[in-house]
Parts: sequence; C-alpha cells; structure tokens
Amino acid sequence: MTSPLVRLCLEEACKSGVAVERWRLQRRSLERLPAHLADALLRHLLRRRLLFPSLLEVFKHSVENIDLRGESSINAEWMAYIGGFVNLLSLNISDCQRINNSTLWPITGLTSLTELDLSRCSKVTDAGIKHLQSVANLEKLWISQTGVTEAGISLLASLKNLSLLDLGGLPVTDHNLSSLQALTKLEYLDIWGSNVTNQGAASILKFSNLSFLNLSWTSVTHAPNLPHLECLHMNKCAVISISNHSSTLASLKKLVLSGATFSAETKAFSFTSKSSITYLDVSKTSLQNFSFLDTMTKLEHLDLSSTAFGDDSVEFVACVGDTLRNLNLSDTKITSTGFEILSGHVPRLETLSLSQTFVDDMSISYISNMMPCIKALDLSRTSIRGFIQQQSPQEEEAKPSLAALQSLTSLKTLSLEHPYLSDIALSPLSSLTGLTHLSLRSTSLTDSTLHHLSSLPNLVSLGVQDAVLTNNGLQKFRPPLSLRTLNLKGCWLLTKDAVVGLCKRHPHIKVMHEFAHESSSLDQNQLLPRSSPPQSLAKVARRKSNQRPGTSVAVARSFIDQRVKYNREELFALQDLPLSRLIPQEGEFVNVPEILGDLVSHLVIQ
Amino acid sequence: MRETVKLISMEGFEFVIDREAAMVSQTIRSMLTSPGGFSESKDGVVTFPDISTTILEKICQYFYWSLQYSRGKETEFHIEPELTLELMMAANYLHT
Repeated sequence: MTSPLVRLCLEEACKSGVAVERWRLQRRSLERLPAHLADALLRHLLRRRLLFPSLLEVFKHSVENIDLRGESSINAEWMAYIGGFVNLLSLNISDCQRINNSTLWPITGLTSLTELDLSRCSKVTDAGIKHLQSVANLEKLWISQTGVTEAGISLLASLKNLSLLDLGGLPVTDHNLSSLQALTKLEYLDIWGSNVTNQGAASILKFSNLSFLNLSWTSVTHAPNLPHLECLHMNKCAVISISNHSSTLASLKKLVLSGATFSAETKAFSFTSKSSITYLDVSKTSLQNFSFLDTMTKLEHLDLSSTAFGDDSVEFVACVGDTLRNLNLSDTKITSTGFEILSGHVPRLETLSLSQTFVDDMSISYISNMMPCIKALDLSRTSIRGFIQQQSPQEEEAKPSLAALQSLTSLKTLSLEHPYLSDIALSPLSSLTGLTHLSLRSTSLTDSTLHHLSSLPNLVSLGVQDAVLTNNGLQKFRPPLSLRTLNLKGCWLLTKDAVVGLCKRHPHIKVMHEFAHESSSLDQNQLLPRSSPPQSLAKVARRKSNQRPGTSVAVARSFIDQRVKYNREELFALQDLPLSRLIPQEGEFVNVPEILGDLVSHLVIQ
Repeated sequence: MRETVKLISMEGFEFVIDREAAMVSQTIRSMLTSPGGFSESKDGVVTFPDISTTILEKICQYFYWSLQYSRGKETEFHIEPELTLELMMAANYLHT
C-alpha cells in the first residue's frame, strides 16, 4: 500500500543536493527511520544521482536493503561505508564493474547480511570468496559469471545456511557438487553453462530440499529425480530422460526445455497421468510428436513456439486446453483451420501468440467468439489482412475483420505488426477503449491511424513503426493522457525538429525514434524502482529470470540469452507478467515494465 | 454543523479539523470508525505522543490539500526539505 504523502516526502527530500543538505544532519530522525522508508530514501537518492559515499554514513543504522546493481561508480570507498551498515540484510552489487576482491573485504563484518548478489562482477575471483566465508549467515548468494573457479566454489561449502546458490556460467565441476553437499539447506541451485556431467547431476540427488534446478547449457542428459523439485531448466541440453521412474519428479511444476534436443522423445517425456506440471516450455526444439501433452492436465502455460507444431497436433493441445492461460504458438505451422478446432477448447486463455504463423482473418472471429478472457494478443506477421472476403460476389466491400475484437472486453495488449495492414483495416481498433498497449508496424499506415488511436483513453504505450507519418500529423497528434511510451521507429518522413518538438510538448512520454534525444533525466524517471519489492517470492522470480540463458520468458526467437536484450529491471518485470510473452519485437520491451511500474513502486514504499 | 475532531500533538497543541479531512488518514479513520474499541471513536480526540506540533500542523494541511486535490483542484503541496524525514515517518504511521 502506498502512502501518497510518503511519496511526496521522498520526492521532496531528493529534489536536489541542496534539499539533501537540509535534512542530512538530522541524525536522530535518520536513526529512527523505519527500514523500509530508509531503503526507499536511499533508492530515490541513487536514482536522482544524489548518492555519494559519505552520504551513505547517515543510513548505517536504518537501511536493510541496498540495491546498487549496474552502478559503475561503486568502488572501494562506497564499500567501506557499506561495511558499516550494521543491520544490512541484502546487498545487490551485481554488474558493478569496479568491484573486485579487495573491495569486498569490508562486507566480511556484516553479520546480519543474508543476501548478496555479485553476479557479473567479473573481477571477483576465488580470493573474494575467501572473504565471503566469514559472512556466516548468508542464505542467498549469486556469483554467476564472476571470475570464480573450481577452487573458489569448493570454499562455499562452509556457508552452511545457503538456501540459494547461483553459480551460472562458472566452471562448476562434478567434484564441486559433491563437496557442496554440506549445504543441506539448499533449495535453489543454478549451474547453467557449467562443466557438470551426468555423474555430477547424480550427486545433486543429495540436495534433498532442492526445488529449483537450472542445468541449461550443460552436458547433462538425464534429469536427476529429485522428489521436491518444482522447477527444472534444461535449455539447450541433449535431453535423454526427464524421468526414469513414474514416481519421481512428482512435484515438478515448471519445466523449461527451450532449445533442447531429444534423442529419445518418448522416453524423455515419460510422465504419469498425475503430472503436476503447470508450466512447459519446449520452444525451439525439434519435437515432432506432441502426444505427451495429454498427461499434463494442469498445464497453464505452454510455449510451443518455433517447433514443428501444426494443425495435425492441435488435438493434443485441445485436450489439455481447459486450464491453459498462456499459449505461445508463434512461428509454428498452425493455420486458421487448426486454430478453429483449438479455439473451442481453451476457454480460459488470457495470453495468446500466433505471430509468424499462417492464421488469417478468420482466426480473429474464432478468438473473439471462443476466448472471452483474452488479455493479450499477438497477431504480428500473420496472414491477417484486416478484411474478410465475402463469399457472394454481389457484395462489393470486404468486411473489416478486426472489428470482431470489440467483444473481447478484457483485451489490454495487442500486437499487430504487419507490413500490409492499412489505415482502413485498422480503423476498428479505435473502439477498443480498454487497450493499454498497442503495437503496430506497417508501411501502409498514415497520420490518420495515429489520430484515430489518440482516442484510446487508456493507452500507456503505442507503437506505430515504419509508418508514413508526417510532421504535420505529429504536430496535430493529441496523445491520450495515460500515454508513456510512443514508438515511432522507422517513421522515415519525420524530421528531427518534429520529433524533438513532440518530446518537448510531451515530456512525460518516452518517444522512440532515430531523432528522439533521450535525456538522461527522463531515462531515470522511466526506470523501475531499482530495488526489489519486499515480497520474497517476487524476489526469487526476479532472480530466476536474470541469470540463465534461454529463460522461459519467451522473446524474439533469435535471442537465446535474454540478458543480451533486456536489462535486469525489465527482466524482472517480464518475469511476472504473462503478457510479456507476447511482445517479441525489439524495442517493445520498454512497454512492459511500465505496466508494472506503478505496481512495483507501490510495493517498494510499503 | 460540521463534525470535527481534535488532534493533539506531542507538545499538547490541539488541532481541531473537519472529521472528513482527518479521515484522509487510514489510521485515524480506523480509530474513529472502529465500533466500541477505541475511546477516540467516542470523543473524536486523538493524541499523537510521537508527532511534533510542526509536523502535525503539516499533516493537517496535507489532509485539506488532499481533499481538494481529490476534487480536482490540482495544486502543489509544498514540503520544506527539513521536514521531509519526520513528515515521512508520520505519514507512514498515519497511512496517509
């Protein structure tokens, strides 16, 4: 719950360096500050670029969580002050490139510290791990893609309280895994890209409390049969077997196998009829036979994108369609014929992607008639033309097909990036008043589409890419009050003056165009709150999302490692957002975090 | 006659404000509306032993500003930087 006055105070306190000077000597107030307010104040200062090492001093009794990820200025001086934070619970200095082994030394005295994120601090090596050994209460440690080697990983065995360990991208060996077996509380283990083999994976069985395991990009071919495992990632693995016995992996809820190869398909998916899986990602695999789906009666999320899925396999999805909420069929061979059969069997679907498929205008009427709960829809690069050709030759005019979308009262996000869609075809969109995110991309669009769409009162982000927009059209454009992002990339007719003028007239809108000058201050305002919300679940979700290659948050298919494309804040937002799977176009991702922008800032001030 | 409530600061200063304004604070609202439990709901008097007069005055100003704002009068609420810390804590306590 947000307190508006707290928010006003935070903003006022961080308005300028002068403002800071006027409260920073109020030592007694600062010491009394409840931790969540102190955390929020620190975060605001950082975002406003008003934080400097000696100012950290005033927070040393009150702050519990510090998130400095990606701050290139963090060096030994900062860390020296942070070493004095007696009540610090969590510290995130991932992607801080100036962090090295010696700068880590001050945190050795932080007895209250339970969470430490050093991901991608490439200068941290085995010597840095030695420092960490004295932080005995550490429960969660992220050291993915640091310079730590096999010897350093073995040292972690002394951190007996660890429940989460992220060793992604490190040269973890089979031997390491057996030495780490002292970590009996381990629930979350990420060893993507490691040197672990099937032999090492077998020793993972000793971690009896493990609920999350990421073995992506390893040579492991047999998934260990862990009784409590809920989430398993084996992206890009040559999977031979997921389950040896019918009774194992009974708790498994989430299975992510994007890009995996299968040598013995049926064996890999020997699930019992009691399969508890709710989330399955088999995108970019060579699967031909989808009959294994029929045991997955609890499935809510299914990603079959970029597979051989086609009309002949539709029945397998249809038979588990009752519970499905998210379905990604982009870049498959499905056509309107198959989709018609499917549409009657997925009554609860909220998110659907059919991009890069052969579905045509008929599919729109199937969606609008049969899928009343749809919130997010991606129909980019399909065979949709915007008109249904009339059967009888007497009728001259073709019927606009998109008008049928009006019956979808929950529809919030729509992507229709398609080179052939014209102004007239898209004109029914202006009556979809519930839309918050709309993404269009067509060389046939003109000013008139832009003006039609300005009547959508709830639009938060709008993309009209590659369109023939003119300066005059832009001048007359009256964006809805809620608009925060306007993507005009590829609108080649616009001049620099027109784009800059638009930015000036609407400073709260982030305009994306070759000529749009993004001032740094604006950028900062656009950022999500940098710290994680207090909810531990959300935190775990975020962590999950930012360290493994080929995560399940499906995006553009050409991106295997999503960190290439998204920064951490965005990934965080994407992870929690089912809609995100629908936005495969580069440049669109900024829209999604903003959906959560409000939500997250609420959480942060709590 | 309009219903009022009395808010008393740490130093004993009394602020008599409209009940409607005081209800901007979720904490005060629950104190005033909870059936039976609090004596505050009977007398319409709330004492804040942790909130100084300066801050409580600012809080009262905020209550009225917030009412006006919610009715569409979009003015700015000015906060002196030296008040931000204490005001933040009070606002946090009052859920306003």
